[in-house]
Amino acid sequence: MFFLYILFALAIITAAICVAPPKAKAWTALAFIGGVSALLAVEAIGVLAGGETARLWLFESLALGCDTGSLDPLSALFVLLIAVGAVASTIYSHGYLRHARDGKSPAHLSLHYLSLTVMSLAMLGVVTSDGGYSFLFFWELMTVASFLLILFDAERREVRRAALAYLIMMHIGFVLLVIGFVRLQVATGSASFAALPSCFAADGFLPLLLVFLAGFGMKAGMFPMHVWLPEAHPAAPSHVSALMSGVMIKTGVYGILRVIAALDTPEALRTTGLIVLAAGIATGLWGVILAAAQNDVKRLLAYSSIENIGVVLIGLGIALLGKAAGNPAMTLCGIAGALLHTLNHSFFKSLLFFGAGNVLTQTGTTSLDALGGTAKNMPLTALLFLIGTAAICALPPLNGFVSELLIYSGMFKGIASGSDTLAAAAGLTALALIGGIVVLAFAKLYGTVFLGAPRSHEAAEATEVDNFRIVAMALPLAGILFVGLFPAQAVGFVVRAAGCFLRTPVAAAQWLLTPTLTAVARTAWLLIAVVAVLAALRRRALRKRTIAQGPTWGCGFTAPNIRMQYTGESFSEGLQSIMPSLTQQNGEGDAVGKSEIFPTSHGFDIRHKDRIDNLFSAWWVELLHQINQRVMRLRTGKINHYILFALAFLILIFILSIFNLL
Amino acid sequence: MTALHTLLLLLVALAIPGVINRTRACLAGRRGIRFLQHLYDLRLRLRKGAVYSTATTALFRTTPSVYLGAAIVASLMIPIGDLRPAISFDGDFVCMAYLLALGRLALVLAAMDTGSAFEGMGASREALYGALVEPALMLVAGTLALATGCTSLARIFDPATLPGARYTIVLLLTTYILLKIVFTESGRVPVDDPRTHLELTMIHEVMCLDYCGVDLAMIQLAGWLKTAIFSLLAADTLAATFCLRWWAAAPLAVALTGLSVGVVESTQARNKLVRNTIFILTIVALAALAFFTGYLLQLNIGLA
Repeated sequence: MFFLYILFALAIITAAICVAPPKAKAWTALAFIGGVSALLAVEAIGVLAGGETARLWLFESLALGCDTGSLDPLSALFVLLIAVGAVASTIYSHGYLRHARDGKSPAHLSLHYLSLTVMSLAMLGVVTSDGGYSFLFFWELMTVASFLLILFDAERREVRRAALAYLIMMHIGFVLLVIGFVRLQVATGSASFAALPSCFAADGFLPLLLVFLAGFGMKAGMFPMHVWLPEAHPAAPSHVSALMSGVMIKTGVYGILRVIAALDTPEALRTTGLIVLAAGIATGLWGVILAAAQNDVKRLLAYSSIENIGVVLIGLGIALLGKAAGNPAMTLCGIAGALLHTLNHSFFKSLLFFGAGNVLTQTGTTSLDALGGTAKNMPLTALLFLIGTAAICALPPLNGFVSELLIYSGMFKGIASGSDTLAAAAGLTALALIGGIVVLAFAKLYGTVFLGAPRSHEAAEATEVDNFRIVAMALPLAGILFVGLFPAQAVGFVVRAAGCFLRTPVAAAQWLLTPTLTAVARTAWLLIAVVAVLAALRRRALRKRTIAQGPTWGCGFTAPNIRMQYTGESFSEGLQSIMPSLTQQNGEGDAVGKSEIFPTSHGFDIRHKDRIDNLFSAWWVELLHQINQRVMRLRTGKINHYILFALAFLILIFILSIFNLL
Repeated sequence: MTALHTLLLLLVALAIPGVINRTRACLAGRRGIRFLQHLYDLRLRLRKGAVYSTATTALFRTTPSVYLGAAIVASLMIPIGDLRPAISFDGDFVCMAYLLALGRLALVLAAMDTGSAFEGMGASREALYGALVEPALMLVAGTLALATGCTSLARIFDPATLPGARYTIVLLLTTYILLKIVFTESGRVPVDDPRTHLELTMIHEVMCLDYCGVDLAMIQLAGWLKTAIFSLLAADTLAATFCLRWWAAAPLAVALTGLSVGVVESTQARNKLVRNTIFILTIVALAALAFFTGYLLQLNIGLA
């Protein structure tokens, strides 16, 4: 019955979006997304404010057993995150697709908005179901819808390639999850997350944990399963990138959280903690170093998403280690930092992808080498992007700082109290290095895109975007400022969501963190006040003096030109020179030779390829291809053959059961 | 107490450049400039007007305030001996490091804003060196937390929780690391040369090429504060081995940085640029070594 209701709802949504005129399709989608989001968000805020866990659905079926959906504090946090991201993306799409509306057919647009609606609602379904088959159903619905969303510009070959790679990788992950849940049901008779602890206790936790970790890690972009992210995000329209990067990959984090919350014994916690911490360090460092090497706005942002997932995993690892060692302060800081960082990342990454979309539509490119100086013509976009940049670099007084500070505190508490000192120190070093390189990567991004002199005609002629998109960007901005300036309140919500993971009562946990967070808030306000006072003093000092304008000082060189500016590639050259082995540099064209004193015109194109990508063009891919071609012979297209196959399958089952092999 | 703290902080920050200049003059056998010459220069700059490049945006004009503001707030978290700082909470060390990173990002972006190749060069190098120093800083904080069992600077440098005598070697090593960080963070020889901005030495100075007057004065002041922050941390760590009082730590900070920077600048040449990353990675390696030594010493408790 449950699935029937959902099909019915899907039919209504499809009909409404198809009937709506092209201009109103976005608003129709927004009505559905906003309506459901608002209903759930109100409920979620109630739950986070201390209400009871709300039951959303319950059904029994013969084949799948009992399946439920409910809204506990952890679900509630993710519901809020998805609601904000989905509504902002839909509003943004109205402005973003304005130009596309003329080129695409109405059916094409309908499909796009239908997928957008289905994906948003499916994500809400994922985080509210208690595991089991309804979880898998929503998970698959989300994957397929996002696949269709990536395919918006299906005319381009690289878009089709990226979408297909995404679909394949997601289904490998899906198969792993199916294996995990079926194993769970076989062991305990129920496939819901609630059955996990008894399953872990009954027969070893490690195999099942690894299966789940790989399945959810695929969605989250955990190293080395991250390769779909940097391909899919540049291919997708910007609001879809924002939704996928800001929101969808968080469902992977949600899954991991549900699984690790079920662990109980110290040994299991410790082993898992070390695994998650190591995965986080690898993911974070790989993501950030590759991000610094990219020369495309959206690819850079995609790699930075990988890096942020790494930071979240580092936090989770610290929390697990703390729980294993019986160190409540370390556990609390780790889990609160990880959850808050998940929320924070959804805010600033949506904002940054929206900003990238603005740049793309106004200049027609996302290549760093063709941009520059857009801050003069697009001041609002530039300002919002700057705030996003500072937030993602985890700088005070914004939100990223609060979550990273919590994770750092967790590590320091671990070190100070002598539990898991070396693991905490490894996490500390990695997080510090990640934090440093993020500043480099985003200084490069912001500096080459928005500052300096324009490197192309299009960048010089860019104009500011429409108000819908600015409004859509203001939504995540509000989140960034709220968490940054009122950290105690924000962390209060998050700690409640972390309740299922903690052994201490929530009130005690909040009491533990409050002094630090109040001090952080005070420091943030102090910083703002000091900077404002200094700016005012400076303004006052300069009021009656001569302010002249002139060209940039060229150190005596009289004919500087725009092409001599530092480019994105040259900005990160220093980092590339000390970490050469992570990327593969492919150069095309001929570089200027050292012996040429007066160089003629040259063309040179350099790309940094992810070395993990090579895994997917190795010998085994060719082998799979050949096997696939053999198997394709079975697909004859004749119905009589297919019936024969079904018969053969039944006979096989029969024979196997005779010999007791099933 | 807070007033005394702020006053001492300011004195340390303003005295260090003078001591460096005097040391260099003595070692070179010159009479040298006055001790307070840098303050006269500062006053001169504060009286001037400004010239801005037409390529720049409002970000360029806001940066000096952000850079100085971040340095001021960060310096309010540094204890001087047993004097408690104005701001102190769990993990304030992280806050200090990230405030300085905020200043760095602002300055790097301002340099990119001018669209000059030279300033871009400086910005890129500053961003890289800043990124590489960060792990060393956090490891130093970790070492101190390990030795004292506390997680805020005020508590780490509290005479009541002094690390035991067995950590002396670790504290000495940490002092040395912090001094090395002073060299990189304040752009001194052998990493950078504050006296010139020519191609080979383009790091910090070149980023401020297009600043003048009041803006330049603010950036310089922030630079002195940054030097003072790390010098004070080094002095506190050293003082923790014998006498953690403010009247010992403050002069020690001035002397440590003033003399070491002065001596190094008079006797050493600047690094080739490729050697700079090695210099900084050496600091990170030393920090890891100090941490591990501290860890081994801590394990020793159970054995003894």
